Amino acid sequence: MNFVESRNLQFKYIKYDDETDENIAVTALKGVDITISKGEFVAVLGRNGSGKSTFAKLINGLNIPTEGTLYVKGLDASKEENIWDIRQNVGMVFQNPDNQIIATIVEEDVAFGPENLGMEPNEIVKNVNMALKAVSMEEFRDAAPAYLSGGQKQRVAIAGILAMKPRCIILDEPTAMLDPQGRKEVMETVTMLNKEEGITIILITHYMEEAALADRIIVMNEGKVAMEGTPREIFSRVGEMKALHLDVPQITELSSIINGSVSKFPADILNIEEFIDAFKYYGYNKDFHYAKKSREPKNNKPLLEVRDLTHIYGKETAFEKVAVKNIRLTVGEGDFIGLIGHTGSGKSTLIQHFNALVKADEGSVYFKGKDIFEDKSKLKYIRQKIGLVFQYPEYQIFETTIYDEVAYGPRNCGLSAEETDIRVKEALKFVGIDESMCKKSPFDLSGGQKRRVAIAGILAMRPEILILDEPMAGLDPYGRDEILKNIRSMHDKLGITVILVSHSMEDIAAIADKILVMNKGSVAMYDTVDNVFREPERLTAMGLNAPQLTLLFKRLRDELAMDVPVNVYDVNEAAEILISAMS
Amino acid sequence: MNITLGQYYPVDSVIHRLDARAKILATIIYIIAVFCAKGVAGYGICIGFLAAVIILCRVPFRLMLRSLKSIIFIIIFTVALNMLFIKTGREIFSLGFVHITTGGILTAIKLCARLILLIMGSSILTLVTTPIALTEGIERLLRPFKKIGVPSHEIAMMMSIALRFIPTLIEELDKIKKAQTARGADFDTGGLVKKARAMIPLLVPLFVSAFRRADELAMAMEARCYRGDINRTKMRELVYCRRDIYALSIVSTLMLCVILLRILL
Repeated sequence: MNFVESRNLQFKYIKYDDETDENIAVTALKGVDITISKGEFVAVLGRNGSGKSTFAKLINGLNIPTEGTLYVKGLDASKEENIWDIRQNVGMVFQNPDNQIIATIVEEDVAFGPENLGMEPNEIVKNVNMALKAVSMEEFRDAAPAYLSGGQKQRVAIAGILAMKPRCIILDEPTAMLDPQGRKEVMETVTMLNKEEGITIILITHYMEEAALADRIIVMNEGKVAMEGTPREIFSRVGEMKALHLDVPQITELSSIINGSVSKFPADILNIEEFIDAFKYYGYNKDFHYAKKSREPKNNKPLLEVRDLTHIYGKETAFEKVAVKNIRLTVGEGDFIGLIGHTGSGKSTLIQHFNALVKADEGSVYFKGKDIFEDKSKLKYIRQKIGLVFQYPEYQIFETTIYDEVAYGPRNCGLSAEETDIRVKEALKFVGIDESMCKKSPFDLSGGQKRRVAIAGILAMRPEILILDEPMAGLDPYGRDEILKNIRSMHDKLGITVILVSHSMEDIAAIADKILVMNKGSVAMYDTVDNVFREPERLTAMGLNAPQLTLLFKRLRDELAMDVPVNVYDVNEAAEILISAMS
Repeated sequence: MNITLGQYYPVDSVIHRLDARAKILATIIYIIAVFCAKGVAGYGICIGFLAAVIILCRVPFRLMLRSLKSIIFIIIFTVALNMLFIKTGREIFSLGFVHITTGGILTAIKLCARLILLIMGSSILTLVTTPIALTEGIERLLRPFKKIGVPSHEIAMMMSIALRFIPTLIEELDKIKKAQTARGADFDTGGLVKKARAMIPLLVPLFVSAFRRADELAMAMEARCYRGDINRTKMRELVYCRRDIYALSIVSTLMLCVILLRILL
């Protein structure tokens, strides 16, 4: 039976245009034909603005179709009288865990849906118990959501839907704001609900590894369905996906490149196990060996030094918490450092010490040999030289024009109008925002553009060190690539020392020289990329991971006794090595 | 970061276990009693009652004193005003234009006692009741007035959402403040105008964020079938127990005594 069935589904909304003072109709969906059967697990991919979320909101009655037909569980979704029935059967989990939890106690929040449905109190209790159990959050039933981790909050949100006994759950980028551990928790819960409870899952995501878990993938582009098929079919069409500004899992891309040269080798491999099996099956040269030198550690002149730094939150209160302890490290001039660690490992606290936003309880930070707190009147200078881009920097935008937004920093530093002008233009050009947009409101930009404007705001202060806290979080693959490219050229062309906080091991491996691993408030590792990723087990134990290719090559070495290097992070390089091993 | 809202003190006591409605009603009755109190006997009953509650609720006494800190200036101010301007009774002290009389002192003591009794009494309510229970109590107490158009459910929903989001927004403000400081902003120096202007980069993002959150929250609530008070049930309905009835009877008796004393004396 088809759970969702749409024919030529269209959705228009009215948007007010500031400049022309007119209302314009925007067509978000331009005729979509989709069927989703009961119990299916469907992943929806697409760039931001491709109509994915609009489609999701139509399915649970938050939007009403403008044209075409949409049947959900056999009910006509364009009829007002059906929407409550539809919403009960189709639950929706949103991206931001903080903005969908209503109550101040977990249990009360889970009960919110059933209460709205007018269930009997004892039935509500039963459903709440069942839902909390299903997401393994029973022990937190009396907890305050504010003290839960992101992954736990999302599981509470899922429980809140489950307690309404839905047939289908739509998840709109549920893992976008989570760390790898939280992502894993959520995805395990979702897969379990689909396999064991038979709940239909519609997952909107930007993570291709998550989409690979689905039965079927629907790719949307500009309000239409662009591609449809099993993950295997979709991901093997690497070229088409890239043309749509989407990604494919590294392992699939690798197999498809190998397939180009070794045509018998499958082009649609989805995970490491399959790859190893295929590799065994199609044979390889047992005596093959390929040596790759480790990247030598650069010994750059020390620029920033951290000496025995300890920071305790809420000192001498009941809520005392050691955020970071005994941190000792040196950042060299021109270094590119990747900073990784699970949520709460002390990354954010540490980087806020670097530009004197918080003062350490013990120890201090030295910039060019001088304690940054030595001269209080020079704090502004320190913050200018050591730029810090916060997580979701677009949330600090406040000015009426893009120009003024970027000029805020330079003006605060007391620069002249001419100098400010030069720097603003230079910074905007660098992040790829055209000068002609200067007079526009930054609030009208897309998410990725807003973020680039915010980064330009820091860049305009001409920092010597630039610290970026998860600058790619929540963006689509295209937006991620753009920002990453920007950061790379800031380092390469402007010679800025970069510290990049990220949860994507692939990105870090591709771009950084050194990796700083934080765990439970201490430095767990601080070494070259090769040395850090050489021990994936240690990273896994800390809730982190190594890049997919590293994991693959490590298993080729360990299980097939192949003499291949493990410090391979680039798909093309990996393909080259493996192709020559197979010939 | 930890932000405690309200000042709920989590211990298990007879007072804590009372129904939120009973606690709210009892507080109202108590406040009326304090206003009606007259003479040593009237105040004595109120003080005795308050002392009994303080002992029973097992909240450290210093926490209650803390609530007085904020009104200490009001107390000093009223005491001074009364002593200076009430000129009844016998004069006991005079210096220049200052004349202090027994009447003035008596009135000052009475007012001071009344203020302390009121503030401590109502602070106990928030010390022994969680904010959530408090909103629920208010909703239930207002329910009978729904017929005359009091939106009791909406008021309670608004209060609980505010309680839920105030810590989130405080945290957000802290983050924005740090982010703008990283861009060279200065919030501490300069005159009043400069300081007020410096608030713009904090407040605009905060409001934008609050609106965005409100929008997303509204959508999440709708997606979970929220449609106001229509056909809604509660997982745990408040139910009056015997102890609530006892508590309310005790407070009512107290008020009757105070009123009788006022009429008789």
